Amino acid sequence: MLILVGLLVTLLGFLISVLSLTLTSSVGGRLVLVLLGLAVSMFGIMGLLNRHYLKNANWKKGVN
Amino acid sequence: MKTLNRLLLGLVMACCLAPSGFSQTPATPAPAAAAPAPAPKPITDADLANAPVPAADARAKGDPDGSLTGTASDISVTDTKKGITIGDLANQVGQNKIAINFVWTLVAGFLVMFMQAGFAIVETGLCRAKNANHTMMMNFMVYGVGMLAYWLIGFAIQMGGVGAVANLGGTPVLNGEYTITLFGKPFGLFGMNGLFLVHRGTYDVAVMVLFLFQMVFMDTTTTIVTGSACERWKYAAFIISTFFLGAFTYPIFANWAWGGGWLANLGVNFGLGKGYCDFAGSGVVHSVGGVTALAVSMILGPRIGKYTREGKSNAILAHDIVIVLTGCFILAFGWFGFNPGSTLGASGNGALRIGSIATNTMLAGMAGSFGAMLYMWLRYGKPDASMSGNGLLAGLVAITAPSGFVNPVASVIIGLIAGVLVCISVEFIDRVLKVDDPVGAISVHGANGLWGVISVGLFADGKSNYGGSWNGVTGSVTGLFYGDNGGQLVAQLMGVVTLLGFVFSLSFVFNLLVDWFVGQRVSAKSELQGLDLPEMGALGYPEFELKSEM
Repeated sequence: MLILVGLLVTLLGFLISVLSLTLTSSVGGRLVLVLLGLAVSMFGIMGLLNRHYLKNANWKKGVN
Repeated sequence: MKTLNRLLLGLVMACCLAPSGFSQTPATPAPAAAAPAPAPKPITDADLANAPVPAADARAKGDPDGSLTGTASDISVTDTKKGITIGDLANQVGQNKIAINFVWTLVAGFLVMFMQAGFAIVETGLCRAKNANHTMMMNFMVYGVGMLAYWLIGFAIQMGGVGAVANLGGTPVLNGEYTITLFGKPFGLFGMNGLFLVHRGTYDVAVMVLFLFQMVFMDTTTTIVTGSACERWKYAAFIISTFFLGAFTYPIFANWAWGGGWLANLGVNFGLGKGYCDFAGSGVVHSVGGVTALAVSMILGPRIGKYTREGKSNAILAHDIVIVLTGCFILAFGWFGFNPGSTLGASGNGALRIGSIATNTMLAGMAGSFGAMLYMWLRYGKPDASMSGNGLLAGLVAITAPSGFVNPVASVIIGLIAGVLVCISVEFIDRVLKVDDPVGAISVHGANGLWGVISVGLFADGKSNYGGSWNGVTGSVTGLFYGDNGGQLVAQLMGVVTLLGFVFSLSFVFNLLVDWFVGQRVSAKSELQGLDLPEMGALGYPEFELKSEM
């Protein structure tokens, strides 16, 4: 489940950035939205997807 | 003391007066207005017919000084009865220009192909001896598997709708871009011409040159993943994953950036600078490889023994640092094909900038190796060899996107930052994310590829001129530090988010499917024994005494 949520959040960041093209025409506004999208995508990868794999890491199960 | 002061004062006054004295020298009188030069006489076919050519008997004696070879007699004529004409001459000039560009692009492609050897020995040297055959074999076959995928479908997706490539004489057959309308603007998504290099008239000399050059770029991307996944990747899974990367993931993003897709057109459609600008592929080649490497490494998990039960990272040492650094040199050599070759020519449309691009490449690599070496020396007390090598590569990766748009000082700054960034990124990925990346590929190519993309939006100096426009927008690529309003930086960041949000997700989903249906990771028994025998059937070093962990 965490994998699916992580993937959706990662893609959401991309969508936010693409939507910035139509939500505003100002460079500053687009910059803010693109940076927001970047942060969301990075959270999806590092905060959700990687967390899933860390939970089930081989070294936690003593395979090391 | 007073005497000394007077002497000094006198000396200063003499120095000050001397130039003014010179400046008072009467100027050389202007020459009398010359009579207007006669209008140039147009060359006629008759002039060309009378052009001196070496006599046959003179030519028969040989040409030791080269003065008789390559004359008007070597120009192809369309009508032997009429002899050489202005039209023949113009055609020969045009063909010479395109020939120069073909040869330049092909030789640059050959250099990039040789980078495969560099990647192979860098990655093999950084793994343990018991996995040498397996790692080397992945790097060897990535060339063939990636090329097959790209020839079958990848090239068509990437370049099938690029339109005319002027430096290669135009490629009008590549005119099939699939486009949707979004927000009232056309969004190019993928190309459709060029399957098998014969589809829809693509059996064409210029298309062949373009294919060869783009193919070796794609292969660079695929070989990045083998580094981060080595020592635990099942060989069959590697083949399938590489095929998908060469056929779909890489070509899709490359189309968006280089093939006439929507990222390249952010300038034309939305006024964001010159659109997404990635001169030679920090994003297209290196970041695509880097984020795919991250996805595969997360799915694979760390090597056995990499982390203690408390999560503390153990260093797993490289087995041959000599070939690692030799490989780094080979890669640096190949990069002279990578970046300057991306002009796709040496003649016309600002292609003489190749000198600047090559120098920028060299400088950034130097700065990257210095940055990494100094960082490691200051932080750990020793100038780490493998990280110095990674610093060189990081500098080269980072300068790849901006190499055609920045000046030498910016190149050194970009490279220096890359050299430090790669060390910090390796530590972060290893200790915080706990993603095992045996060669540092995610940091070298992923993190620094993204940095290279961003740096275009900051450091592009507006001095380059590739035919007067870039991505269909008139003018030169200019970054924030050189007077741009930030639009170029937004376009670059849009590329970064696309790489992290879309390309990573696509790679992750596909490799997850491979994991479910084929299995990505070898058995623990094979991993402990070393992958050479279980996966390849032969040891890389059969006469060495290997340290097995069984």
